[in-house]
Amino acid sequence: MSVFIEAVGFGVAAGAVIALGAVGFTVQFGISNVLNITYGALMTLAAYLGYALLSVGVGVWAALAVAAAGIAVASAGFNRLLIAPLRRRGTGFVGVVIVTVAAGIVIQYCIVAIAGPDTVSYGQQAGGTIRAAGFVVTTSQLIIIGLTVAAMLALHLLLTRTQLGRAMRATSANPVVARGCGIQTERIIDVTWLISGALCGAAGVALAITTVTFDFTLGPIFLIYMIAAAVLGGIGQPYGAMLGGLVVGVGTQVAAAYTSPAYQDVYAFGLLILMLLIRPRGLLAAGTASARRLAG
Amino acid sequence: MTALLALAACGGSSISSSTSSAGVTGAGTINIGVIGPMTGPAAEIGNLMSGACYAAVLDVNKAGGVLGRKVGCTLVDDTGDPADAVPNVTRALATTSNLNMAVGLESNTAATTIPLVNSARIPMVSTNGLVAYDKTTDTYFWRMTPSDDQNGAAFVAWAAKKGYRRVAVVFQNNIGAQGNDPGVVAAVRKSGGTMTTNITIPGDASSYSSVVARVIAGKPQALILAGDPQTSATFLSQYRQLNGGAVPPVITSTDSITPAYFSAVKKVMGAGYVTHSMYFVGSYVSPASHAFGIYKSAVYGASQIKDPATILGVGVIASIYDGINLMGLAMQMAHSASGPAYNTDIAKIAAGVPGAVAVDSYATGLAALKAGQQIHYVGVGGPIHFNAFHNSPGNFSASGFSASGSPTLLGVIPGTQVQQLLPG
Repeated sequence: MSVFIEAVGFGVAAGAVIALGAVGFTVQFGISNVLNITYGALMTLAAYLGYALLSVGVGVWAALAVAAAGIAVASAGFNRLLIAPLRRRGTGFVGVVIVTVAAGIVIQYCIVAIAGPDTVSYGQQAGGTIRAAGFVVTTSQLIIIGLTVAAMLALHLLLTRTQLGRAMRATSANPVVARGCGIQTERIIDVTWLISGALCGAAGVALAITTVTFDFTLGPIFLIYMIAAAVLGGIGQPYGAMLGGLVVGVGTQVAAAYTSPAYQDVYAFGLLILMLLIRPRGLLAAGTASARRLAG
Repeated sequence: MTALLALAACGGSSISSSTSSAGVTGAGTINIGVIGPMTGPAAEIGNLMSGACYAAVLDVNKAGGVLGRKVGCTLVDDTGDPADAVPNVTRALATTSNLNMAVGLESNTAATTIPLVNSARIPMVSTNGLVAYDKTTDTYFWRMTPSDDQNGAAFVAWAAKKGYRRVAVVFQNNIGAQGNDPGVVAAVRKSGGTMTTNITIPGDASSYSSVVARVIAGKPQALILAGDPQTSATFLSQYRQLNGGAVPPVITSTDSITPAYFSAVKKVMGAGYVTHSMYFVGSYVSPASHAFGIYKSAVYGASQIKDPATILGVGVIASIYDGINLMGLAMQMAHSASGPAYNTDIAKIAAGVPGAVAVDSYATGLAALKAGQQIHYVGVGGPIHFNAFHNSPGNFSASGFSASGSPTLLGVIPGTQVQQLLPG
């Protein structure tokens, strides 16, 4: 039993990082209807930005905040300069996805060109180890869990309690009707990419803190977990993304505790498939346009 | 994969050539195909391979070349990925003139590249560790380094020498690391030690906490750990977090004795751990031998080599230098650069015949051949004893990192001792 409790604790810590990125990813996809594969490369960019800041003596949490802000701007710029023009010219959903794949590769190799292909490290940023009720977590993991919960709550409040949030949901449900109602949908989508970019940047640095060392493949490798979490939770659902992240994180860690760790992802993603067979639109799907499109 | 393809595409040609002195590349140059990962995550391996080639080319050309012709290194980028390796090597074989010998061909891509080179009837000295090549019938294949199961047994031999009877085995799920596992398992069993855990882990995961907890529960005295720098650093740092700061010594492969590994692990484990608690076991080269002195001069003398200390510290890489000398001398002996003509002379020069003159460099070998003598090449890796399958595993060494990150020799493990730990 103690092994199980311990593994669940490790899974929550791992899942929090997945969830932090997945919350941003799901909001971006849910509202702008772009499956943005560049998200992974932007996470990598954030991790390297954090590394550069650490190298000049900036504290790790300040570096996370700066990287989040930087990637927020980069993300909004990416949408405004590349994605939005493409969509205005009639590029379809799949075409845009391919462009984001291509842009991700370009960003990835720009990073290699500047930072080199070798691994880099944040060093030990974990802080102290806390043991309580069978759980073992580090200080940094607790902060990341707190950050994820705060991001999820803030997004939920934004979407449900503010004028901006209502406009975002209206844009997600039907952009044509939303425009007809006087909502400046392009501006709403800009804000969405800004917010999701900030979460992407924060997730990139949080991931680098967790892995300790990383290279230019960091984000793209991790992206599949975030997409899985977002889909599992129900596209456009911050709570769902968080729940999905926890399922994936706990699934991999519990599998690693009891079976061959080499197959931990197989068990976790097998569980994901099983859950989607039971709830095809995700655990907390609310029936957004994107969710309906994705779930078919 | 897509990323690597993109890099290959953006980077232009996957083939590049160089001789040791500017302006000597010409129609008559004998090209040595250095087949390895020149770009991508494993590019450091390609860098080591090409360094050994540059050192050998420097010495061979200084001695007058092969058959009076210059030799040069042609780098063939296999990116460490079989999907890229096949088209790149195929193109190199088809388009490179006078490609008369090949070196490199490491584990990640060996199964796809070796058949191509063998079919082209080009003699090759491979550094791959695949057990499948212990009993290969490929005519043009030669290997002067141990296979992965022999390396695995050498890890256990070193652990026993240091008094570590309880070992935890943690290997990343890549082809190189996995190849060591059967040798480790067999050797632990035969040596009477205890394997507290034997776990395969995925590479570059964000968390190994559950795995680390399982390993700690076994209370190992040493970790036999094989993984890339990122995987190893993440694993060890989480071990330290979960075990109150204590981490047992690590025994791993000399493949990891690289600046990237040193840098990644030092940053999370500290200089003291990296320099005193990490052992890198692999092919032995004797720093005291005359052949090593010649090799060292060449490595430091080749202008293309940026990090000579690392190249000298990786024993496997010295087999590329020895291999080029050996193949060059075989060409000279056969009076031909054609693979089918000189291939059998490789074994003759390595084994020697009664009355053959022992030579430890290309220059002395060439002089002896020109004087009409039979020769017996004893290189940086010591005497070469090819078996019927063209394998000569040799002895093993354990090395460590110095404070500056350069490799230092800690001890020697005789090949016979390692062989005794393996079945059959």
